[in-house]
Amino acid sequence: MTSNPLVTLEGVGKDYRLGRVRVRALDGIDLAIARGELVAIAGPSGSGKTTLLNIIGCIDKPDAGRVVIDGADVTATPLHRLSPLRLHTLGFIFQTFNLIPVLNAYENIEYPLLLQKLPGRERDARVRRWLEEVGLAAQSKQRPDQLSGGQRQRVAIARAMVTEPKLVLADEPTANLDSDTATHILDLLATINQRTGTTFVFSTHDAALMQRAQRVVRIKDGRLDAPAAAQAA
Amino acid sequence: MTFKLAFRNVLRNRRRSAITLLVIVFGAVGLILFGGYKARTFYALRESTIRGRIGHLQVFESGYSKKEAQKPLEYGLDDVTSLRKSIERDPRVKMTAAQITLMGLISNGEKSETFIATAVEPAKDHAMNNQRVTAGTDLPANESDAVMLGAGLAKSMHAKPGDYLTLMSTTTSGSLNAMDVRVAGIFTIGVKEFDDRAVKMPIAGAQQLLNTTKVEKLLVFLDKTEDTSAAHSAILGKVSGIEIKEWSELAPFYHQVVALYNGIFGFLGIVVFAIVVFSVANTILMSVFERTREIGTLMAIGTSRSRLRAMFVTEGVAIGIIGGILGLTLGALLAALINRGNVMLPPPPGYTVGYRLQIMLQPAVLVTAFLVSFVTATISSIVPALKASRMKIVDALGHI
Repeated sequence: MTSNPLVTLEGVGKDYRLGRVRVRALDGIDLAIARGELVAIAGPSGSGKTTLLNIIGCIDKPDAGRVVIDGADVTATPLHRLSPLRLHTLGFIFQTFNLIPVLNAYENIEYPLLLQKLPGRERDARVRRWLEEVGLAAQSKQRPDQLSGGQRQRVAIARAMVTEPKLVLADEPTANLDSDTATHILDLLATINQRTGTTFVFSTHDAALMQRAQRVVRIKDGRLDAPAAAQAA
Repeated sequence: MTFKLAFRNVLRNRRRSAITLLVIVFGAVGLILFGGYKARTFYALRESTIRGRIGHLQVFESGYSKKEAQKPLEYGLDDVTSLRKSIERDPRVKMTAAQITLMGLISNGEKSETFIATAVEPAKDHAMNNQRVTAGTDLPANESDAVMLGAGLAKSMHAKPGDYLTLMSTTTSGSLNAMDVRVAGIFTIGVKEFDDRAVKMPIAGAQQLLNTTKVEKLLVFLDKTEDTSAAHSAILGKVSGIEIKEWSELAPFYHQVVALYNGIFGFLGIVVFAIVVFSVANTILMSVFERTREIGTLMAIGTSRSRLRAMFVTEGVAIGIIGGILGLTLGALLAALINRGNVMLPPPPGYTVGYRLQIMLQPAVLVTAFLVSFVTATISSIVPALKASRMKIVDALGHI
């Protein structure tokens, strides 16, 4: 059993409606993620990886069960009231990078710090540090459409990390990248995890990415494989 | 950052934003040109009515407006000289002019017509410059039996300058009196109904015809129309036994024109408002749909609903500010071009003379045009902003 986990899911279920058909996306998920862990959620397409990630990331609500993030039970709180939690505790890395096209690399990374109302000097120092960390100091003035896919994902990683979140969620972070770039991105995530102790949870099909994880949670048809469930228990 | 994002997003789809801005600019230009035309028309009509016809104030013998006079000039002013001296002491007063209006018959020996005469002080009447002499001369200064005829009346009487006619009217004691007059000139003020009956004659001639030394009223002309109420109070404080009417009470036509133009301007404003609302709302709504995934991302990384709303409303504000400034600039340029272009408009109904199109660029007109652009663009962005802020994050992120 994980003591004082950062994330705890108890009996989490989620249904979707497809026309008249009710589809069970998640069914009785019990999962605990420790602080500092690098966890991969693996499974075939449609297995419920993204739904699980969305619920952990407080951008979707479960229909059943309980979700606790950093000691706070968020199950009953409306999603729009959780924006401070998403801003201060969570970081997101998306498969399609999802940068703001009208902002350059610097401004994209700076954006969440502006929401946090961080003073200008500290904001600038943090943005520059993370631009250095992801190796994009020279591209700080470039807009997303002037950057390669790998560079965009690096900006997205810097944007997720700049607020110093406790938990970073990444949905298929290397799926849109070539294998060399994907390896570089994986190296970067692993390094950040080791150096900062930030908890990472990512969904993936990628075997290389699974090898980098400290723990692989396998999901199929909305249910966790027995070992993951056992570990959670 | 909210402003930076808003301005950059406005520039993002340049063609669509340009079309929206064009709508706002056309709206603002329309408001400026029509508002400026309206302001100029009101100003010109007011000043021509006051300075050419009725004066800023009209001073009567006390009781003039309440009591029904049985005979001409029963409530006329007796001692106009001392009254004039008292009034002209006020530094706001430019001049005073005595007047009598009378009616009667005019005859050429073969034919008679009714006339409505305005008896004036010739020198003062020249200064009022309220008519166009089409033949002969203005009223001479020292000739009590000279008259001017309205163009329609002159035609009807087959009269030309130098001809003699006879005027007949009722005296102040109720008896009939007649006098022969020389036609000094023929004039028009551009209103056919008036020109068909109008006679202008010197005060001395009218007093002779009416057998009196009284005048009906004293017109008071001020340097500035804005001083009317203050001068009114000051004169009443200094002189007793009189009553005063302000130009506004004596100019029903001016108020009818103002009401008509304000109605048209209000309707135009509503049309512009509706067009701008739909255009800007459409632009921002399209932008919301196109940026659905971006909205999901912004919410996922911690942007609150209120900040998201503020972002889209700020886009409306940005469109309003840019459109308003462009509209003011283009409107002012077009107004200057029109004012320099000597564009003539056809005569209005009831008039025989056209007039020059002029646009008066008053601060109120410019401020109104800018505010309409700005406020409508801002209001238009509220619904799209609410729509954006109520999106489900997961749905928005999954939007393609």
